[in-house]
Amino acid sequence: MLSQWLFYAFATVSVLGALGLILSRHPMNGALWFVVTLVSLAGLYSLLSASLLFALQLIVYAGAIMSLIIFIIMFLNIQPADIPDEKGKWAYLLGGCLAVIPIGLLLLKIVSSLPEGDVDIVGNGFGQVKSVGLVLFRDWLLPFEIVSILLLVALVGAVVLAGKKEMTQ
Amino acid sequence: MSQLDILMVVLRVAFGAFIPICFIAIGVWMERRGAGFIQDRLGPNRCNIFGFRAGGLVQNLADGVKLIFKEDMIAGHIQHKFYFVLAPVLVFFTALVSFAVIPFADTLILGGKSYIMQTVPLDIGILWFLACTGFAVYGIILAGWSSHNKYGILGGLRSAAQVIAYEIPMGLAIVSLLVVYGTVNLSEIARFQGQLLFGFIPMWGVILQPLGVVIFIVAAFAETNRTPFDFAEGESEIVAGFHIEYSSMKFGMFFLGEYVAMFVSSAIIVTLFFGGYQIPWLATETMVAYAQPIAIVLMLLLPVITYYFTNWIRKNNVSHYNRQNDPLVREANVYIKICWILAAAVELILLTLVVINPSADGVRIFVVLLQMASFLLKATIMCFVYVWVRWTLPRFRYDQLQKLGWQILLPMSLVNIFITSAVVVALS
Repeated sequence: MLSQWLFYAFATVSVLGALGLILSRHPMNGALWFVVTLVSLAGLYSLLSASLLFALQLIVYAGAIMSLIIFIIMFLNIQPADIPDEKGKWAYLLGGCLAVIPIGLLLLKIVSSLPEGDVDIVGNGFGQVKSVGLVLFRDWLLPFEIVSILLLVALVGAVVLAGKKEMTQ
Repeated sequence: MSQLDILMVVLRVAFGAFIPICFIAIGVWMERRGAGFIQDRLGPNRCNIFGFRAGGLVQNLADGVKLIFKEDMIAGHIQHKFYFVLAPVLVFFTALVSFAVIPFADTLILGGKSYIMQTVPLDIGILWFLACTGFAVYGIILAGWSSHNKYGILGGLRSAAQVIAYEIPMGLAIVSLLVVYGTVNLSEIARFQGQLLFGFIPMWGVILQPLGVVIFIVAAFAETNRTPFDFAEGESEIVAGFHIEYSSMKFGMFFLGEYVAMFVSSAIIVTLFFGGYQIPWLATETMVAYAQPIAIVLMLLLPVITYYFTNWIRKNNVSHYNRQNDPLVREANVYIKICWILAAAVELILLTLVVINPSADGVRIFVVLLQMASFLLKATIMCFVYVWVRWTLPRFRYDQLQKLGWQILLPMSLVNIFITSAVVVALS
């Protein structure tokens, strides 16, 4: 019973955070609303007793990536005059909402046609440290390594690009 | 849930909430008297209540009262007042909640039921600590940014860059530790360290991971923004950095948060590398089996220790010039009486709980209390190391700090992971 109420609370807060991200004018407000969304998503993971996903969500997304983004926003030194006017923001929003209504209806239909069944946790140890580690390093070892090489290439590329600019100056 | 279950939950949460807060007072006191000791002066020792100075502890009370009653102002140029107020709260509470996963004694078995002695029995352990330190950055960034002040922003930038940079070697040092321990659960990590290497060396992290302990401690110093890495404050160049615009208790929250962070990272260092609550050569089961002899030895040792301690008080708590009816001697007499009363109380508890009529539960509680004492003692010693380093080393330059993080600690921790994994694979 409590977990159900917690689910509703986290779900509402995560949607509110996403709304705040879209609607706030100042980039810092937007970024912090997004942090709220990410933290409540971590709460949803913990309701699934997926403790590793919960921790990674907090460490990687809410902790590392968002603090980097906020760090950059702090660097930009945004003055009130720098923020664009956003004329006709509400009209655009309304138009956007109308445009995604068909997709929303489709999703609703899909969800409502799902078979009524058990919504308990799938299997033992779902999202725990051991099971995720076994899946990553035994069943999906090659894709995992390929993705990590992809990330490494992006990293090296960023360093090379940043270094080049300095040399030409 | 029985009444015992509820009582245990309350006790554990109380421990997790109040011990870090108590250690603020001890940490601040240790910092000031330690600074005095290292700089060959006395440190604060004048503040008193009816002549009782408690070795300078009353000064903390006076400072707290001062901070609370100062004018709590927000400068007019600050636009984002919500973030300005939120920042110190974030710094303080992230430090406080990261203590929640640290085990302070081995699992307590009462009447066939076992209670994990952590505030929150979370099995992700060390990952929770990493998540909390990640969130502490927000407090610093928001404080620096919302202060809307050159020095504030500079301090916030420095601190954020430093914390983000040192999270990497810290995380990698933890990775090599996890390879050794094979678990992220701090309770299991502490239990692992109760074993003996070759039958006589305690299997502490510091022995299994000599390189990891250096990397982790250096990174932990940087994470808590303590000297030699306290550029965020940098009084001489950026006049206190990110908390320059803060006054009263909002500054107080930063100040207290620093000491909570110091205690929590000491506790983490102790748990990961110095055996946590383990007493060397006395694993939990050994202590349970030999509870009576241990209690008797303790009962014999306690009066001796109290005797020397009270003599030390009597020798040091006197005026340095001749005074009639020296009030310091009167004060010392009261302290000495309190010491003897406490010692007698402990003797009585030991006598009734373990020696005369040992029950299984009583012995278990006795062992848990001993382990808690061992944990707190180790954490206090580690806090003293923080103070010691602060008053011994000068502040680095900022580029030296980043160089140390990226060019020395990062490769070192990577090499450490490879060596550790190779050894673990070869041995298994």
